[in-house]
Amino acid sequence: MSLADSLGGNRVRIAGVAALVAAAAVAAVAMDLPLLGIVTVGFAERSLQAATPIALTAIGGLYAEKSGVFNIGVEGFMIFGAATAATTMWIIGGGSPGQSDIWLAILASVLVSLAFAIVFAVLLIRYEADQIVAGLALWFIGLGFGPFMAVLVWDSRNSPSLESINDLTIPVLADVPVLGPILFDTSPLVLFTAVLAVAAWKFLTDTRYGYWIQAAGENPEALDTAGVSVTRVRYAAVIFSGVMAGLGGAVLLAQAGSFTGTGDTMVSGRGWIGIVAYLFGNYNPIGAAVAALVFGGLDMLQIQLQTVGISVPNRLVNLFPYAGVVVVLTVWGSTRTPSAVGEPYESEE
Amino acid sequence: MSAPSERLREAVDRAAGHMLRASVLERLAIATASTALALAIGVGIVAAAGYDPVQFVTSLIEGAVGGRSAIARTLRFSTLFILTGVAVAVAFRAGVFNIGVQGQFVVGGFATIMSIIWTAPLLPGGVVGGVGLLIIGFVAGAVAGGAYAALPGALKAYADANVIITTIMLNFIATGVVGWLVQGPLRGEGNAAPNTERIPEYVSFPSLVFDSSGFSVVGLGIALVTVAAIYVVMERSRFGYDMVTSGHQESAATYSGVDAERTVVTTMALSGVVAGIAGSVFAVMIMGYYTDPGGIATYGFDAIAVSLLAANNPLGIVPAGLLFGGLDSAGTHIGLYTDVPVQLIDGVIGLVILFVAVPELFRMAAQRTGLGGERR
Repeated sequence: MSLADSLGGNRVRIAGVAALVAAAAVAAVAMDLPLLGIVTVGFAERSLQAATPIALTAIGGLYAEKSGVFNIGVEGFMIFGAATAATTMWIIGGGSPGQSDIWLAILASVLVSLAFAIVFAVLLIRYEADQIVAGLALWFIGLGFGPFMAVLVWDSRNSPSLESINDLTIPVLADVPVLGPILFDTSPLVLFTAVLAVAAWKFLTDTRYGYWIQAAGENPEALDTAGVSVTRVRYAAVIFSGVMAGLGGAVLLAQAGSFTGTGDTMVSGRGWIGIVAYLFGNYNPIGAAVAALVFGGLDMLQIQLQTVGISVPNRLVNLFPYAGVVVVLTVWGSTRTPSAVGEPYESEE
Repeated sequence: MSAPSERLREAVDRAAGHMLRASVLERLAIATASTALALAIGVGIVAAAGYDPVQFVTSLIEGAVGGRSAIARTLRFSTLFILTGVAVAVAFRAGVFNIGVQGQFVVGGFATIMSIIWTAPLLPGGVVGGVGLLIIGFVAGAVAGGAYAALPGALKAYADANVIITTIMLNFIATGVVGWLVQGPLRGEGNAAPNTERIPEYVSFPSLVFDSSGFSVVGLGIALVTVAAIYVVMERSRFGYDMVTSGHQESAATYSGVDAERTVVTTMALSGVVAGIAGSVFAVMIMGYYTDPGGIATYGFDAIAVSLLAANNPLGIVPAGLLFGGLDSAGTHIGLYTDVPVQLIDGVIGLVILFVAVPELFRMAAQRTGLGGERR
């Protein structure tokens, strides 16, 4: 499938996003809001950073669902990812971790997520666990053991200030007006995610393995007949989704620079928003990343409103992404899910 | 009717009865095994983290049932777990994943407190006024909780918006909006903390049997009456039958003339009404005012574990709720008297849900070890 085809298939959604943005702009002008003061380069940069963890999680979750398994546990994986990254950074870097410690912490977090994802995949696939209930369980386990790790290490649900990742400045390109500071003078994780989204899309639509994943979710019998193990494909996709969500949590931590374990933890629903992002992106990795950007923008709106002097209480502005999710699901709720999602597959042999 | 066919019928009946018993027994076994395995892992983690596991288990038991005040505390938590558990069970039984019980619980409790504060000046004080205000508060809680649940129900029925995700989002929104209201517009006059005013002293449950602040047998009574009422509705009424069939066999229900869309909305509303009543009991029996919901216990989440442990059966909710009340009460005790982080209990609750979701694990284990004979 070429880019044009897949864009064509999503025309309604793209028109929807465009209409939303246009409506917001018209409303802003009509209400005499300083639009230029709200939509700034800094806002774009912050929105992209806020979107990264959501996009990573969404891309992973999308692969799992495409393969026929609903990994609703991504929120839990994100919490474990963030908690593991924070504790690792503290253990190897002590009180003053450096930039290399951040990368090691992200790596450790990916490895721990991999281990958890394997166990989770075995429960879902081999032991045919109820995917919804097991996914919820994983969230609760994360909500319990994530802060538990923090209390063991710091005697508090929150970590002290650790280290956050530095911007990567690419010479020459960073000097390009507008795009330079947004794309080439920002967290390297933003660039990484953008590249990954494109790669994930290419892989899913243009490679043999990508077709296997789609077939495992749409028509597992046919895949089985073709001699490819449905179970194996699903294992790969579920483990990938767990690792991606864990990475998303680690990236969230690397950007924030400290762990928060009070309330719903620092992840605070971003995994759930990731699920909505790929539904909204119609199971297209690039679409999912763009949808994540919309939610990232809603998340960062607060600073913009403050700078132009509109005083909406923080507590309410923080709810914009959640309200956005409800609106998105209501208007574009009826996505066509892969037909075999949620059903365990029993091979004939 | 000839004799052989009667005999056949009898045999089939007997077999069906046997199957039914086996499946109830099996569920009980799975629930017990899940809880035991989760607790064992919890104890293992405690030991691995360098604490004394024996002391942990001792304080677990002490905190749950060691003495009169521990029992009152257990029953206080159990009351709320039973109510929120039933709220979850109503929806799950009908195949609607209402994860929003926590939000409905918050909205219901907040509505209870505000309606009592607002109407208190209009009514006489004393016992009569107290009972009147309690009734007003509970009705407000039930209506608010029901409405807040009917909304995602309607979004599911008429716009096909995934209930799991909308209800989770509405939890965040409920916490945020109520948190903002008690911080600003509805904060009690002169309160340093983000709290509403207190409701009048005479609006409270009498302390019978247990002389404990925060627990009254009346609250537990309300929970048990609710369980009985929901049991009758779900198992013995036409409405409940339609609800459960449309959850499990949508096409069959539609053929028999059930309006599937409306059933989703009413199911959610009923679930939310119970969650709202749970919120009312929490507000009146434990708090006496409302505070930032970001800081209150997550009964509505743990209720999912309670309901699943009870296989979404209203009657099973009572023992499951007692178990969770005991766990939470032990958690409080552990938090007060030991160094073990209480978050462990939350994690153990998550593990219980995980294991309940994988009955196959236990079936295979039972087969492998020869326990349970040729079950399955």
